[in-house]
Amino acid sequence: MNNLKLITLLLFCFLLSACNEEGKLSLSERSVIYCAEGSPETFNPQLVTSGTTIDATSNQLYDRLITYRGDDNILSPAIAKSWHVTRDGKKVTFYLRKDITFHQTDYFTPTRPLNADDVIFSFERILNFAHPYHLVSGGNYPFFQDVGLNDLIYDIEKINEHTVRFHLAQADNSFLANLATDFAIILSAEYAEQLTKLKKQSDIDTHPIGTGPFKLKEYRVGSLIRFYRHPQYWQEPAKIDQLVFDITPSNTGRLTKLLAKECDVVAYPIAHEKIVQHEDLSLEAVTALNVGYFGFNINKAPFDNKLVRQAISYAINKETLLETVYQGKAEMADTLIPKTSWAFDNNITKQEFNPELAKSLLNFAGYSDGFTMDLWAMPIQRPYNPNAITMAKLIQSDLKKINIKVNIISYEWSTFLQRLKQGEHQAFLLGWSADHPDPDNFFTPILSCSAAKTGSNTTFWCDREYDDTIKKALHTTNIKQRKKYYAQAMAILAEEVPVIPIAHSKRYQARGENVVGDILAPFGGINFYQVSKKSLYLEREERTNNRQSTKNNSNTGVN
Amino acid sequence: MARDKIYLEEVFPSPFIQLWLIFRKTPVAMLGFSCFLFLIVLAIFGPFLAPHSPVEGQLDMLLLPPAWHIDGNVTYLLGTDELGRDMLSRLMYGTSLTFGLSFIVVIISLIIGVVIGSLSALTTGLKSSFLNHFLDVILSIPSLLLAIIIVAILGPGIDNTVWAVVLVLIPQFIHTTRYAVKEEFRKDYVLASRLDGASPFRVLYYSIFPNITDRIMGQATLAQSAAILDIATLGFLGLGAQIPLPEWGATLANGLDLFYIAPWTVYLPGLAILFAVVATNLVGEGIRHALKLRKER
Amino acid sequence: MLIFTLRRLSLFFFTMLLLTLLSFSLNFLFPGETIINLTGAINATPSQLVEINEAYQTHRNIFWQYITYLKHIASGDLGLSMASQSSISTEIVNLLPATIELSLVALYIAMLVGIPLGFIAAIKHSKFTDNLILSVSMLGYSIPVFWLGLLAILTFSISLGWLPSAGQISLLFEIKPVTGIQFIDILLSDSPYKWQAFSDATAHIILPACVIAVAPTTIFIRLARTSMIEVLETSYIRAASAKGLTFRQIIFRHAIRNSLIKIIRHVGLQFANLITIAMVTEVIFSWPGIGRWLIESIYQRDYTAIESGLLVLSCFIFVVHILTDFIYAALNPLARGNKYGAR
Repeated sequence: MNNLKLITLLLFCFLLSACNEEGKLSLSERSVIYCAEGSPETFNPQLVTSGTTIDATSNQLYDRLITYRGDDNILSPAIAKSWHVTRDGKKVTFYLRKDITFHQTDYFTPTRPLNADDVIFSFERILNFAHPYHLVSGGNYPFFQDVGLNDLIYDIEKINEHTVRFHLAQADNSFLANLATDFAIILSAEYAEQLTKLKKQSDIDTHPIGTGPFKLKEYRVGSLIRFYRHPQYWQEPAKIDQLVFDITPSNTGRLTKLLAKECDVVAYPIAHEKIVQHEDLSLEAVTALNVGYFGFNINKAPFDNKLVRQAISYAINKETLLETVYQGKAEMADTLIPKTSWAFDNNITKQEFNPELAKSLLNFAGYSDGFTMDLWAMPIQRPYNPNAITMAKLIQSDLKKINIKVNIISYEWSTFLQRLKQGEHQAFLLGWSADHPDPDNFFTPILSCSAAKTGSNTTFWCDREYDDTIKKALHTTNIKQRKKYYAQAMAILAEEVPVIPIAHSKRYQARGENVVGDILAPFGGINFYQVSKKSLYLEREERTNNRQSTKNNSNTGVN
Repeated sequence: MARDKIYLEEVFPSPFIQLWLIFRKTPVAMLGFSCFLFLIVLAIFGPFLAPHSPVEGQLDMLLLPPAWHIDGNVTYLLGTDELGRDMLSRLMYGTSLTFGLSFIVVIISLIIGVVIGSLSALTTGLKSSFLNHFLDVILSIPSLLLAIIIVAILGPGIDNTVWAVVLVLIPQFIHTTRYAVKEEFRKDYVLASRLDGASPFRVLYYSIFPNITDRIMGQATLAQSAAILDIATLGFLGLGAQIPLPEWGATLANGLDLFYIAPWTVYLPGLAILFAVVATNLVGEGIRHALKLRKER
Repeated sequence: MLIFTLRRLSLFFFTMLLLTLLSFSLNFLFPGETIINLTGAINATPSQLVEINEAYQTHRNIFWQYITYLKHIASGDLGLSMASQSSISTEIVNLLPATIELSLVALYIAMLVGIPLGFIAAIKHSKFTDNLILSVSMLGYSIPVFWLGLLAILTFSISLGWLPSAGQISLLFEIKPVTGIQFIDILLSDSPYKWQAFSDATAHIILPACVIAVAPTTIFIRLARTSMIEVLETSYIRAASAKGLTFRQIIFRHAIRNSLIKIIRHVGLQFANLITIAMVTEVIFSWPGIGRWLIESIYQRDYTAIESGLLVLSCFIFVVHILTDFIYAALNPLARGNKYGAR
């Protein structure tokens, strides 16, 4: 009986809604669905280093003071329309734009445009331990703590409503580069005030307010993130009305959705040959500055022993890992930084595959009968490691040959990272995507002592000499001198082996042919600001036009 | 050589033999039975017969399609997976894991279930009522859900899966046995031997058990097919057999990532599970059919 | 009927007692601290811990702890999920309806297909049609559901492109969850794309519901077949045919009604079975239901979620079970005298 009622209701609705359908672009032509590989841990990139969170937040919801632009990655203006650095490099002044509005959402309505207070609030929160928002959400700002920004900046001064000056303790080469990263976003001080009044401080990181091209509409944990266009964006508003992140951790699931046209864009696709076969799909790649590595937890036996670490580094056959896991599409890593970086040292000692040497090293270390270890493998695909579980299986069989029995352990992604931070692991497969082109972005966040304290250096390796070397490199302006320091640091790494670098890879993405516009940003992130969709109708028209005239491949905007 | 019979004696085959005589006459059931025997043999000898190692891969032979495909290789009859492991060998090893373990599981839970079931059939009153309630609750929860619950408590792993499935199947055997024993107890021949002064246990052992074996066998085949499916499903969900083990469900889950480039890594384990379950069910059908025919005689 | 009701109620209380006792004891069986397993408060500060301990009366003996636990459950407090730190009861309230919706549709399909087929098989007893239906149904309950789901996706979503492969509805449609049952929510929503959303949701549910329905369908076929054969052998049918009623009249007027009653009994049991199959299917079709959530909680070793999820799910199954018993008793006076345990 109920069905009958339903059907009548249904028909009724159909009649009602059919009228207001006409003359509009369909919903799907004004929206883009992105199949993401995991849920963000938070909506504030200041709090994390994980790429999944950055992808979902930084470029979509927020803006930075300055940004990288163009193929040469030149620092260019964003929220700051210009900036000035004094000759001694210790004072940096930013002149802010006056026409930037924050998001208006169900939970917040801005009354004023962005000004110096917002910038100061965003940085004070990180730097000032006594700041009321510092401890909200745990008080960990891993990126900033890793690069030592809290030691570097000793004061932020408000010159006037739209001018801010940073006072630095010393000149620092990577300061501007660090401010242009995905982490250094600007929050709204006014929103923070409102939350303080409502006593809901932690909402600042879960119900974000930013200035970016999209605003958050809805988030269902583990299932979707819905963004709407920010209509008052300070640049041209985004071309699509709606951006949906469909959270699909399963690799096959994402590919299925792509093939079944349920996703427009897919992160980290598998089965590249299958995608290439389809005419209406395209595969793109961007050379990302990254490194995938095998790390040891220095605090857990037997990896406190340098010889054991060296032995394992000789026992792993990187060639087959590259062949199988990366399908030959990555470059073998000899040290943390890729060969394309200016700091790369050609004289670096390469770790070759030598199981005999590995065995004798193990004997020497007193583990002639081998041992059993746990290897933690990431559950999801990252640009630096498309399939950590398969990699772990291969390493398992490699290490079996030198009598080490490996148990593979994996958790859901955010649990995995959390437990790594707490140091529950013995050894792990992980990686790092650079946030800016400065080589320091590899050396400091992965292996420095300060990173070991915040837990982003999950090897917990802390070497004074290495730390001093990379610090010296950071404070030198002479490129040759810096290169020398980095060569020293790499030599220490080759000797101590806290991590075994495996590969530098590309970041892949697949999309339907009707999605137009760049998405992959040069430094690992993604950005949907420029994206639009070709409507089917327009596409048909374009095709007929193309027959007559030359191919004009401009974005067919859908506004 | 014919033996002279001193006494003229009419031979009554035992109920079990009677069943077999009828069972033998259904060709489909016999087909199922021979497949079942084949699987048992494979489960025992599979690891010795397998041409390659199920865990160690041949890294120059990645993702080979099965031999009948143009790119196939006869040494890898059913192709290889993403680590170059021979699918045929993995499936053969998998037989002893999925099918062999489910067989063992059924036997263990059968023994425990029959013992508890027949003992409980002898009880009456409050204890019996409590047991009734308890069985009602347990039996109303599907076996797979119960297995998932138990694995959730014990933690993932093949050994825990085995225990979970054993625990799940026991109540079913208790129920069947209890019901069958109670039914037999009401019959006249049992009354006769009780009047002869036989103790309940003697009655149980000499009079009742031979008459209920067939029904328990029928239950056992049901349990076996449920056990295969449960072990495979848990393996598929990643709660059962862990990474390198070639359990069928786990192999299938492992092939998921390769679904579109190497579909045989998904088809083959699925077919293997289907084959095992169908064989078991055919045997079960045959037994139930034979039971019905015997009753009608 | 009164005695029947009392008996069922006693069974209900007994079961609830057993289930809560079980889930309470799970907290002790899981690794880690009991109180944390119970509440999921992994990030609690020491002062919060004191408060929690006070709230759960851990200083008193185990019996009182259990009573307080019951009180917390009764007030709808199932603790926090260890993984997401959100309230489990709200998560369950959001997810359970999706599972119910999927299972109900599947049950509907299974009954709609299974029962008529079973009747046909019974009427053509021991003929070719009967054998055909029986063999197909055996194949149906032998097939592993996860494999079937994959094959269905490959055929209907990828190769043919007819039906979507994942989720409850295309994410483009913004439907506010009110009841959690997608179809009702769509009708309640004020989205301008109501009709589109409705047809999209229908397309999404077909594939998973059919995959879930396969195994119960085969069971309904068998149930319907046996009960129809039994009915056809009864004396009142023979009397009817002796009176000169046509075969059609006998089947449609007498046989179907009487055999349907026997089947209704089993619907409750089948529903439990269906929910389990749905759990696995939800994983494959990424259906946002409680099954997928529960299995993910097991991966993440989120003990609070596992314990509460199981409690809710098994209570739900049991309630459905008892409800169908009541319906059956209401329809069939003969059943009221039956004792529990006998089936």
